This record gives sequence, C-alpha cells and structure tokens, in this order.
Amino acid sequence: MGEMIKNQITLFIDGLEVIVEKGVSVLEAALKNNIYIPHLCYCPDVKPFGACRLCLVEINGQILPSCLTPAEDGMIVKTKTPDIERIRKIILELLIANHHSNCRHCPSSGKCNLQKIRGRLRVNVKRMRPLRMAKEKMPIDTSNPVFDYDPNRCILCGVCVQICEKKGNNIANFFGRGYVTKVIFLGDTSKCEVCQQCVTKCPVGALISKKH
Amino acid sequence: MNKMRKILVCHGTGCIGGGAEQIFSLLEKEKTRLNLSNVVLKRTGCHGFCQRGPLVIVEPEGILYCKVQPQDVPEIVQSLLPGGNPPQRLFYHDPVTGDPIPYYRDITFYKKQQRRVLRNCGRIDPEDIEDYLERGGYQALQKALMEMTQEQIIDEVKRSGLRGLGGAGFPTGKKWEVCYKAQSDEKYVICNGDEGDPGAFQDRSLMEGDPHSILEGMIIAGFAVGAKKGFIYVRAEYPLAVKRLKIAINQAKEKGFLGKNILGCDFDFDIEIFQGAGAFVCGESTALIESMEGKRGMPKPHPRPRLAEVGLWGKPTLINNVKTFANIPLIIANGAEWFASIGTEKSKGTAIFSLTGKVVNSGLIEVPMGIKLREIIYDIGGGIPNGKAFKAVQTGGPSGGCLPARLLDMPVDFDSLTEAGSMMGSGGMVVMDEDTCMVDVARYFLEFTVRESCGKCIPCRVGTKQMYDILDAITKGEGKREDIDLLLELSEVIKRASLCALGQTAPNPVLTTIRYFREEYEAHIFEKRCPAGVCDRLTR
Repeated sequence: MGEMIKNQITLFIDGLEVIVEKGVSVLEAALKNNIYIPHLCYCPDVKPFGACRLCLVEINGQILPSCLTPAEDGMIVKTKTPDIERIRKIILELLIANHHSNCRHCPSSGKCNLQKIRGRLRVNVKRMRPLRMAKEKMPIDTSNPVFDYDPNRCILCGVCVQICEKKGNNIANFFGRGYVTKVIFLGDTSKCEVCQQCVTKCPVGALISKKH
Repeated sequence: MNKMRKILVCHGTGCIGGGAEQIFSLLEKEKTRLNLSNVVLKRTGCHGFCQRGPLVIVEPEGILYCKVQPQDVPEIVQSLLPGGNPPQRLFYHDPVTGDPIPYYRDITFYKKQQRRVLRNCGRIDPEDIEDYLERGGYQALQKALMEMTQEQIIDEVKRSGLRGLGGAGFPTGKKWEVCYKAQSDEKYVICNGDEGDPGAFQDRSLMEGDPHSILEGMIIAGFAVGAKKGFIYVRAEYPLAVKRLKIAINQAKEKGFLGKNILGCDFDFDIEIFQGAGAFVCGESTALIESMEGKRGMPKPHPRPRLAEVGLWGKPTLINNVKTFANIPLIIANGAEWFASIGTEKSKGTAIFSLTGKVVNSGLIEVPMGIKLREIIYDIGGGIPNGKAFKAVQTGGPSGGCLPARLLDMPVDFDSLTEAGSMMGSGGMVVMDEDTCMVDVARYFLEFTVRESCGKCIPCRVGTKQMYDILDAITKGEGKREDIDLLLELSEVIKRASLCALGQTAPNPVLTTIRYFREEYEAHIFEKRCPAGVCDRLTR
C-alpha cells in the first residue's frame, strides 16, 4: 500500500472512487474525472456563483450546488438520482421557455452550453407545451463598440460581470431586480477590443462580437 | 385635590393618519384653557386598536375613546373636571348588544390578548426615556451587566425557549451561543427591521411605540456575545420609526445606557441606524448584510458558514428580528421560567400579529402561542364584517399560506402553521371572506414575488414568473387542463432548488390554495367560472 499523499482526498461520485486535491469543489472533482454534471454559471476563471442550480447534487440526503460544495474525504455524491434529474430538467425547461431564441438563428449555435445541456438531458418541446413562453422581448443593447448584448438570450450567469471586473475595465454590472434583471455595460470601453473575455466566456449567445 | 390623570393620544402611523396630531394640539389648548394642572397629556405609540382610531385613552381608569374627532375634544377634557361625565358615545360599543364599554380592558379585542412585548406600546411616550424608565426600563440591562455572566445570559435565553420571531423560528439562545463562541476581535449585532410582508406592521409599531425595549435587548445581546457595535436595519419607508429610534438612541447615550463603560462596567456598546432601500429580499439575512456592505442585496447560497461566525465584513454577526430583541429584557428581568410559562411545548411566549383584512377589529395584537385561530379572528377580531362568511386566513405573507375554515381550531404556533403549509412568518395575518377568489390571491402573492425576487437563481427568477403567468391565465379564463399539476410540479422544484428562503417559500400561497381550495381552481379552468365573482372575465 502506497502512502497517502497529504493533500489528496478520496470521494465517491455515483459510486466511482475519485481522488482529488484538497480544496476543489465537488463539481471540479467530477469534471476532472470525466463525470459530467450539467452546469451553466460555473466558469473556472471566476468565483463560483451558485445561480443556475443545474449542478445540484445529492450529498447525505441534502440537495446542494456542487460548484459551491467543497469536496471532502469520504464524501458520497449522487449526481443522477431520478429526483435530481427531474429537478434539473424542469429548471432547464423553465430557462428555455424564457429564452426566446430559436437556436437556428443564433450565432452561438453549436457552441452554446444551454443547447448542449438541452441535448444531453433530452428536453423535448412537446413536454414543455403547457409552459407559457415569454412574450415581451427586451431591446438588444448595441451601445458597446465591440459587442452586442441580447438580454433575451442572457441567462444571468454573471460570468461577464465577474470577468470584466477581473480582467477588463469593470464596466459590466447587473441592473434591475427580479425577472427584469439584465446586464449593462457602462463606462470606459477602451480595453474591450483587446479583452473580449466576456464574449469568449459567455456560455450562451447573449454576447456576440460585432464582427460576427 | 383632583387626582392625577393621564390623557394618552395614540400616535401610531394609523392614528396619525386619522388626525391624532390635531386632536393632541386641541386637547392641549383645552387643557390650558381650563387650567387643569392635574392632567398630563402624552403622545404614545400604537395602542393596537387601529380600526377604531384615532384613539384617546384616559388613565388610570383606562377609558378608551374611539374615532375621536376635533369636535369631541372639549367634552373629553371637561369630563375630567370634578363631577364630569365621560362622553358615552365615544366608547366602544359591543357589536352584538350595542352596549357601551368604557374601559378597554373589558373589550374583547383586548381581553384575550397577553400584551407582554407590547406592554408599553400605547402607554408611554416613545420619545421620552423617563416614561420607559418609570415602567422598569433598563432594569434588565442593569441585572445583565452587574449580576450575570455572558454564559448565564445565554443560558437564560436558551432555557426560555425563545425562537426567532422574524419568521424562521430558529432557537435564539443557540444562535447567541454560536456567536459568543466565535473567536474574533470584532463582532456585530444587527436588528432586522426590514419588515416587508404585505399587510404586516408589527415591527414598525414596536419600533415606533417602544424603541427603548429594542435597544435594551440589543445592548444585552451585545454584552452576551461580546460585540461592541450594533446596527438597526430599518426600511426607509418607515420614517417615524427611524425618527423615534434616533431619539431613543440619543437619550440612551445621555443616560449612559449606550457608549463607553455602560453602567460603570467594562463594556462599551453603540448602536447605529441603517436605512434600507426598499428591497423585500434584503430582509433575508445574508442579503441584508450584502446591502449594508454597499453591495447588491443578493442572498448568499448554501453551503456557507453561519452568519454568527462569518457575517458583516467577515466578522461574527448576530442578527435577530425586532420582536426577538424586545423579548430579551423581559426574559432577563423575569427569568426563563416566567417566559416559558405560556405557549406550547415547542413555541414559548407570545406572538405578535398585524390582524387585517375582512375582520371587524383590525389592529396590532399580542397573543399567547398556541391560541386558536378562531379565538384570534372571532374573539379578538370580532368576526367577519357585514354578515359575510369566513373563507381563509393568510399568515406569513408571500412566504406563507392560506388556511381554510376547517383549520380554525388549529393552535397558532411555529410547527402547527408549518405543518399546515403556511408559516408563522414575521406576523402578518390577513383575514379573507367569501368574496375572495383564492386563485386571484395566489396570483397577487406571486406577482409580489416576481417583483421582489433578487433575480439571481433561475428557479426563483424564471420559475415564479412562469407560475405567475399560469395563474394570470387561469384568472382570465385561459387555464389549461394540465395547469394544476404543472403548478404543483413547478412549486416543488422551486421550493427545493432555489438559493434562498425567498424562493424556497414563494410557492406556499399557491400550494395551500390548491391544497385547500382546489375546487376553485377547477371551476376557473374547466367551467370558466369564478365562484367568488372576482375575476371579471369569468362568470360567477
């Protein structure tokens, strides 16, 4: 028996034994070991936000967001119980019903995480029929010289807000509250052309480069 | 000699709205004109019987005059002259027999109440610390500081069984203990006065009517957990509460109950007021702290450390509701056993409610935990006006639920209400009569949640909007056969997946109305009929 390396812990994700470094989250532990947990607002470059609720898992009978839960030695994590899968599916359906966009017209089609997760979870439109689709469309913000922002496609993951604070000019912010929350970009745009981190890291098609 | 008399003029927000300030100045003029040196005039906080305001009370007899108008003033003052008779027509009249009842203690509205926390509300001038001192104020602080250790205070609170009165009902003593044990050079105490439930005004009334009891509770808490600084988070929409709290803080400082070396002890404590910016979600303690730090008021997701360990600016922070703090001086002064002598096994002490809606006597009430809903609505509240039938009672605001007539004999305590699908909440209690459409009520509360959700997590932001859209469609006759099941399914997911308590409780009004009034939903969807006749696109 080899000696345990001090900084390593062992946990069990869906019955699989996983060895990771101390300090990583359950979601990171899973992803590093090729166990996929759906997620939209997690981005390795920024702090976990815990908003999309798609990465919920079951630990000790509790439902927790895996992106915010530190992996612990001996932890038993279930990512695919029928309960969790149903919750996840309904959250996704709610998001799609509210998302306005038709994938076929979206410049992000093919690299969109929402589209990818929808395919993986096999959410079909027929099941969603009783849901009310969003009616009003919010105007597209074209004020930034480098990119356009479509609030109707935005899922408010907050990645652009965080990454702009970290790497850009800190011009992205949440605006408004509740259902009408959106992101606004106000201030010095001189770095935008070079940076474009927000456009690159947007998990959906809400931020699109003007060059597109 | 004529005996000393006090004329108390209620200056709660409701009575002020009814003209109490004018009544007061007229009483003053009349008193001066008649040169009545044995009469003291006082402005008080809410006396509770808001329905009958403006209220004027004459002590020591305890005569209550209702709906006092400017022209009634001379008669009231003249009745205090030797041989004078109190004007009967201003008495409360029994709604059944029509008999005038001169003394408020004989009125059913007051009879079934146990006014412990509200003991000073409506009886003292909240802007005069001497009044509070006269009624035993700051004696508990003196006892805590001079006779008790921190551990003894926490133990007393624990043994009392007091549970947080902001809504969740977490054991107060346990929270204090966690904060006390947290190691830090700095700790904070926060009083949560961000009352926001529609129809709730009990925290406001207490801040307006007896601000020193809250300060005293906070100072004791500060000493017990080892904090030197306290904050009161008040809604900016409560200007009178802010004003009276400020006056109270200044007076407490002058008297040495706040500041350095309080009562000569090695203990410093200061309190500052923070005015909120009107977001309902900021009543949630982590969002409240974000907002105090100057950030967006967004709740912090679990798993996270407890605020009693990592709170405001990362320091251990004790947050309790206004009413919870106001209970503390009582517990310290009278002991845990006294406090726990009323209430149920798991809910001790009293509960304070803002009784409103379709009820004869609306107002601010304090009742022992475990009282039956029926006693509150029919004995204290005087039943439903205009001969209408009772339909439902809503507790806990947007996080609570609607309970039907068959649950009227249910005891009012934390656990019974939760079991019935509602919650104690912070103290709103709205009575509804037969003319209320329960689908419309659910729609109203969801509209509130959609507007007040912080917008961070998807289940709450998008899910409550989806539920609102469905409910709105049902009230317009556009309901589909699958809608009830869909609402139930969405409710379950929103409750379980949302990030904070706002989302986790938002479906409660929908769940309870479906659970207890399903036939109304069915009438709307399948018969395109609104049985209460509220939804105007549908027939009755």
